[in-house]
Amino acid sequence: MIEVKNISKTYKAGSELIKAVDGVDLKIDQGEFTSIVGHSGSGKTTLLSLIGGLTKPDSGTVVIDGTDLWSISDDDLSEFRNLKINFIYQFASLIPTLNVLENVMLPTAFSKSDEPFEDYARELIEMVKLTDKVNSFPSQLSGGQQRRVAIARAFINRPEIILADEPTGDLDEETESEILGLFHNMNENQKITFLIVTHSTDIARGCNKRYRMSQGVLKSE
Amino acid sequence: MIKITLFHIANQNIRRKIFRSLAIAVSVAVVAGTLFSITTIMDSVETSLRRGTERLGADIMVVPANAEMKAKTALLAGDPSTFYMDKRIEDKVRQTEGVKKAASQLFLQSSEYECCDVADMLLIGFDPNNDFTIIPWLTKRLNRPLEDNEAIMGRALTAYAVGSNVRFYGTDIPIAGMLEETGMKFIDNSVFMPFKGLRKIAEDSATRGKETVDIPLDKVSTVLVQVNPEITAARVAIFIEHEIEGVKAIVSEQVIASVRKQLFILLRSILSISIVLWIMAMLLIGVVFSMIVNERQREIGLLRAMGAKKGNIFKLVMTEASVLSLAGGIIGISAGGLFLYIFKGFIRSSLDIPYLWPSAAQFSLLISFCLFLSFITGTLAALYPAIRSMRMEPYEAIRRGE
Repeated sequence: MIEVKNISKTYKAGSELIKAVDGVDLKIDQGEFTSIVGHSGSGKTTLLSLIGGLTKPDSGTVVIDGTDLWSISDDDLSEFRNLKINFIYQFASLIPTLNVLENVMLPTAFSKSDEPFEDYARELIEMVKLTDKVNSFPSQLSGGQQRRVAIARAFINRPEIILADEPTGDLDEETESEILGLFHNMNENQKITFLIVTHSTDIARGCNKRYRMSQGVLKSE
Repeated sequence: MIKITLFHIANQNIRRKIFRSLAIAVSVAVVAGTLFSITTIMDSVETSLRRGTERLGADIMVVPANAEMKAKTALLAGDPSTFYMDKRIEDKVRQTEGVKKAASQLFLQSSEYECCDVADMLLIGFDPNNDFTIIPWLTKRLNRPLEDNEAIMGRALTAYAVGSNVRFYGTDIPIAGMLEETGMKFIDNSVFMPFKGLRKIAEDSATRGKETVDIPLDKVSTVLVQVNPEITAARVAIFIEHEIEGVKAIVSEQVIASVRKQLFILLRSILSISIVLWIMAMLLIGVVFSMIVNERQREIGLLRAMGAKKGNIFKLVMTEASVLSLAGGIIGISAGGLFLYIFKGFIRSSLDIPYLWPSAAQFSLLISFCLFLSFITGTLAALYPAIRSMRMEPYEAIRRGE
C-alpha cells in the first residue's frame, strides 16, 4: 500500500520558487490501477518521483508497505526500489551500449537475488513481441520498440509497484492499446500496483482510480 | 546463463566511444612507458655500478698520475688502453697506512694483425699470489687452481666458450671460465690471466706473432687496493698520493658516485618531464571523465532509479577508469620494454657507462610499480567525477540529462 501524506516539493528556477507539489495526500491500495491526469508542468512527474523515492520532499511522508522512504538510508532506499518499484518513462531510457536482452536484465545487476533472470527476461521480451530483436541494440530499434523494451525491463525484478510517466506518449494507437493491454494483464494476473501519469483522458478512463493534478495540487475525479 | 555485472556495463561503456577511450589509454601509456624506460635505465645503471664495483673488488685503483683519465675511461667505458708504472709501487702501496691488501695488474692490448683473434681487446695479467679480485671468484666457480697458460674471459666476449681458445700474439690460450656479466665493459670485455702466462705470450710473440710484444718486466699498469674497514678509502687514497710520487689513487666509490651523479642529473630531468606528463595526463583524464559523467547524467539517474546504490555508480565510473588505466599501463610498459630492447645497443653506447639489464625479479618489481602508477593515474583522475556522479540525486540527474 502507498500512503502519501501532505507532501510538498519546491524548486528554485533562477530567483523564483516553484511549488511543484503542494500538500498532496494520496492512498493507493495494492493491485490498484490509478491514473493522474494533468497538463505539462502541473507537478505529475515530480509527484511520481517523490513516490518512487527519487527525490526528497520538503515536507510530508511517503510510506510504502509500512516503510517511510525517507527514514531509511540511501542504500536501503536503493535496495527497496530495486525490490519493489520500477519506473517507465516517457523518453528513451535504454542504455545504448547494451542489447535488448541486457537492457531488460539491467536492474538485476543491482539485485541481491541469485535467481537466473535470463529465462524470465526472454519471456518478457516475447511478451512485448520483440523476440527477433533480442540481440539488437537501441539504435537498431524504432521509438515504439525501445519503449516496449523499457516496459519489459520494468517487470524484470517482479516489482510490486510500477510508476509510469506518460508510458504511451508519442506511440501510435495500436502500440498504445497493446501496451495498456499488457499493463492491465500484469495488474490482474500479478496484482502489480500501477500509477500512471498521463495527458490522455482515454487512458485515465480505463483506471480504477483517477486523479487530476493542477499547479501541484491533486484532486480526486 | 547471462548475468549483467557492473564490469560488463563498464566494459560496454568503454567501447561506446572508442577513440575517447583510446585517448585516455594512450595518455596513461605515454606516462607509463616513459616512466618504465627511465626507471629501468636508472635501475640498470645502479645495478651495473654496484655489481661492477663488487666484481672489481678494489676500493682504490692506483695508476700513473698522467693516466688518470685513461684509467677512468677504461673503468667506465671499457676503452682498452695501456699505461705502466714502476713495479716497486706495489710494495710501497702495501706499506701505506690503512691498506689491507694490494695486488698489481698488467694491461696488454691485442694487436689488429692476424696474430690476435680480436683487435683492441684488453688482456689483464694478475698475480695469483696477491690477487683478491679474480682468485676469490675462481675458488667458488672453477674448483681448481688456474693454470699459468689459462685465461678467464669477460661475459661480453660471447664468441668464446669455456674450453675454446683465444689467440693472442700467436699463442692459443685455453679459456677456463667466464665471469658473470657486470655491465662494466672494463671487466666484461677483458681477458684475465696470470702474470706468468702473460709474460710467456710476450716472449713467444717474437717467434709466433707478426708483432712482438714488448712488456717491461719491471712495470705494472695498476695496483688494486683493499682498505682496512676502520678507515675510509678516500683517506687511504690521500695517504697513497702523499707517500708515493707520480701516482693517482682513484677511489672506486668516488668514480661511481660521480657517474651516478652525472647520469642521474640527466635522468632526473627526464623524470621531471615524466612527472609533468603524469600530472597533465591526470588532468586530461579528470576532464574527460567529468565530461563522461555530465554526458551520462540521465543514465546514472536511470540506474539509480532501477536500484543502483551510490557505491554501484562510483564503482561503475572507477571500473571504467581502472580498466583504461591498466590497459594504458600494459601498452606503455610493453612499448617501453620494446623501445629498450630495440635501442639497447644505442643506449649503452650513447650513455657510455656500465649498463646491465635488471634481473627478472627487478623487472617484475619495475613492471608492478609502473602498472600500479598507471592504475593510480586513472583512478585518482576519475575520483572526483566518480564522487560527483554518485552524489547526484536520481530525479535531478534524470531531469538534467533530458
